[in-house]
Amino acid sequence: MSSKGKSRWADDEEDAAREAQLKKEKEEKKRLKAEKARKLEAERKAREAAAREQQPPPEESPNGPPSKRRRVSHEPESSTPQNGAPPETTNPSNLLRFNGGTFSRARSVENYDKLNDIEEGAYGWVSRARCLSTSKIVALKRLKTDPKDRSGLPVTGLREIQILRNSSHRNIVPLLEVVVSDSTTPLDPSIFLVLEFLEHDLKSILEDMPEPFLASEVKTLLLQLCSGVAYLHDNWILHRDLKTSNLLLNNRGQLKIADFGMSRYVGDPPPKLTQLVVTLWYRAPELLLGATTYDSAIDIWSIGCIFGELLTREPLLQGRNEVDELTQIFELCGLPSEETWPTFRRLPNARGLRLPSNPTPGSTTSRIRAKFPLLTSAGVQLFNSLLALDPGRRPTAKEVLEHEYFKQDPKPKQEAMFPTFPSKAGQERRRKRETPNAPARGQKAADLGAVDFSGIFAGREREERGGGFALRMV
Amino acid sequence: MAYMTNPLATPDQIFHKNSLDSLPTELRDAVFFSTQCLTQAAGILLQLPQSVTAQANVLVARFWLIEPMMSHEFSDVSAAALYLTAKIGPCPCTPRDLSNVYAYLLSKSSTFLPSPNSSLPKNIPDDYYQSETSYQAFHSRVLSLEHLILCSLSFDTTVTLPHPLAITYLQSMDFLNFPKEKITRRVVEYLNTALLSPQMLYLTTQPNGLAVAAIYNAAKDLGAKMPECEWWEVFDVDREDLGFLVVGMRSLEGWAEDMKGDGVLGKRKLGGMITRKDVKEILGSNESQQEEEDPELAMARRMDEKMREIEGGTA
Repeated sequence: MSSKGKSRWADDEEDAAREAQLKKEKEEKKRLKAEKARKLEAERKAREAAAREQQPPPEESPNGPPSKRRRVSHEPESSTPQNGAPPETTNPSNLLRFNGGTFSRARSVENYDKLNDIEEGAYGWVSRARCLSTSKIVALKRLKTDPKDRSGLPVTGLREIQILRNSSHRNIVPLLEVVVSDSTTPLDPSIFLVLEFLEHDLKSILEDMPEPFLASEVKTLLLQLCSGVAYLHDNWILHRDLKTSNLLLNNRGQLKIADFGMSRYVGDPPPKLTQLVVTLWYRAPELLLGATTYDSAIDIWSIGCIFGELLTREPLLQGRNEVDELTQIFELCGLPSEETWPTFRRLPNARGLRLPSNPTPGSTTSRIRAKFPLLTSAGVQLFNSLLALDPGRRPTAKEVLEHEYFKQDPKPKQEAMFPTFPSKAGQERRRKRETPNAPARGQKAADLGAVDFSGIFAGREREERGGGFALRMV
Repeated sequence: MAYMTNPLATPDQIFHKNSLDSLPTELRDAVFFSTQCLTQAAGILLQLPQSVTAQANVLVARFWLIEPMMSHEFSDVSAAALYLTAKIGPCPCTPRDLSNVYAYLLSKSSTFLPSPNSSLPKNIPDDYYQSETSYQAFHSRVLSLEHLILCSLSFDTTVTLPHPLAITYLQSMDFLNFPKEKITRRVVEYLNTALLSPQMLYLTTQPNGLAVAAIYNAAKDLGAKMPECEWWEVFDVDREDLGFLVVGMRSLEGWAEDMKGDGVLGKRKLGGMITRKDVKEILGSNESQQEEEDPELAMARRMDEKMREIEGGTA
């Protein structure tokens, strides 16, 4: 430190001079650029005029094909790409160049060095690996294939690759490439998806957290989830297996949706789809009741379940089987009635349902308000709409993003401000999985048969409780 | 952008296609054309939508820029590509149907690519009867080729077809004030024909270029009046590319006629799908035959092993 007490950052003459110099240079550059643009424009106009005189319109050429390149179009273009700037759209002769990439043989998995296993799911196992050439850490997901399966590679795996390849969104895990094992005999293929590595999945974070997420953190996570799902639905993709163990989180607070093993493209009107999708605890009531035409609302239901899980760290509806799941849903959201879900009687499995003939008042209303006393009323309103029994009344993912809940205080926390957690995936530890797995393809959907729900609200008035105290709100 | 673009062949891949297997260009083109026609015929018999069959055509073309043409039977490559695109598309086909259709198309009774010198063959059902063994063998070949095709293309099965774009372009130009159905039909015909071209137009041009060129050709053929400005630039196609595509699409018909007449296909004694055996006979060199034999034998052996394994498993 100098004795004069003058800060080294204070402006002095030298700085002023340098600034003036810089300013001058900038202006000079600007001037030159403008001049150049003027010149180019003039040149282009002159050329166009000349060409108009010389060249007959293409329709006049006798044999159809225009035989010669017209010189009008491309001179200005060839001068622009020098600095890598995209061609201006205002110039009519600057054409948009589509770049779809190229195709080539899949690389070998030997390009990656396996570090440790992360988990084993219904659709293959995942391990952490390092790319030998770039030292980048990635997740390798092996597609489960069955050499005895006479229909060849599983269509779910091919769909997953297709969908991930076509998707690019900050909240969807990026597929970097697909590699194969070297020892490929054609009959025992090993196929690996190379995915971006994220340190955590939400499921194991929730299991290990001593305290639940703060309200601001829940909002950020939910917003990211919905923006990813909105992108998928915009592109006609249904995920069909949203759950906390399929949501990955990195140490920078970024959430990405993973595991597209159940997802598929749909159209409008929706094609006939398999009803056996989505892990039981996150499965929408219309699926449990056997609907074969369903739409993006089933993913919204799963988002609702995830919302509840983020608030309490516990899966919201842990049914032991289809009937129990449905019971829990009705206990939380109320029994379906003509007002809350007019069309439900028409669903295949609804025939066997016996609901209380004259329901007690309140048995058809949702109990979310009472179960989540700390949630603001906007939060409850959102929660209720996500878990609306009638799929037609659930909001779209885009509508969720605009919801009042996210505008209220506490505001969503900035991703960069997120706490970090010790990474299970990064360490040499296997996760145990407690959620049931997504249903396997080709399994038969459970027929609920005759189920009696008439008694489920018998003692409801007695269990009404207040919210108690909570000090941590922000 | 995934719905507007296709991965294209690199200049290097196109340049080296002949060095992959030392087939003369004429022969290579004949095999390419016949195989693409075979895929189309099978697609029709399997009642697959043209969007599925066309994707299979494009995948076969890409595959043969990566793998040598002679390493697998041409009809098997066609069947595997069709099986694959049908599987990931909206209407999968069963291996049994596939096997039956290909057995018919490859039999002596089929009217596929008939020889110009002889009359149309008689339909003798015994010709295309598939025994259980030959079905199983066919099925195994298709499955292993399916995997090979996927590996060769890095599992990228995206094929964006120009057909929907062409319709959109036509709509935006008010169908050139021409009867809608007529001009659309002609445009689609051009696009489908371009799939067969050994110039591999679908691997060198993005869909917008193909769509514009097909509209240009259709308008020329039917005498529809096109806008007088450089309308193709609106669809981001430049004049030079358009000229090349227009010639490419138009030249195919004449080229195919020549080939079926005095060319490679016409010179054969019998009609039908060209096979590797035909190609080897045409090449007539024993040395190359010996070389080609090896991978085929190895493959056959693997199939046999697999068959034994399966039979052992079920017994």
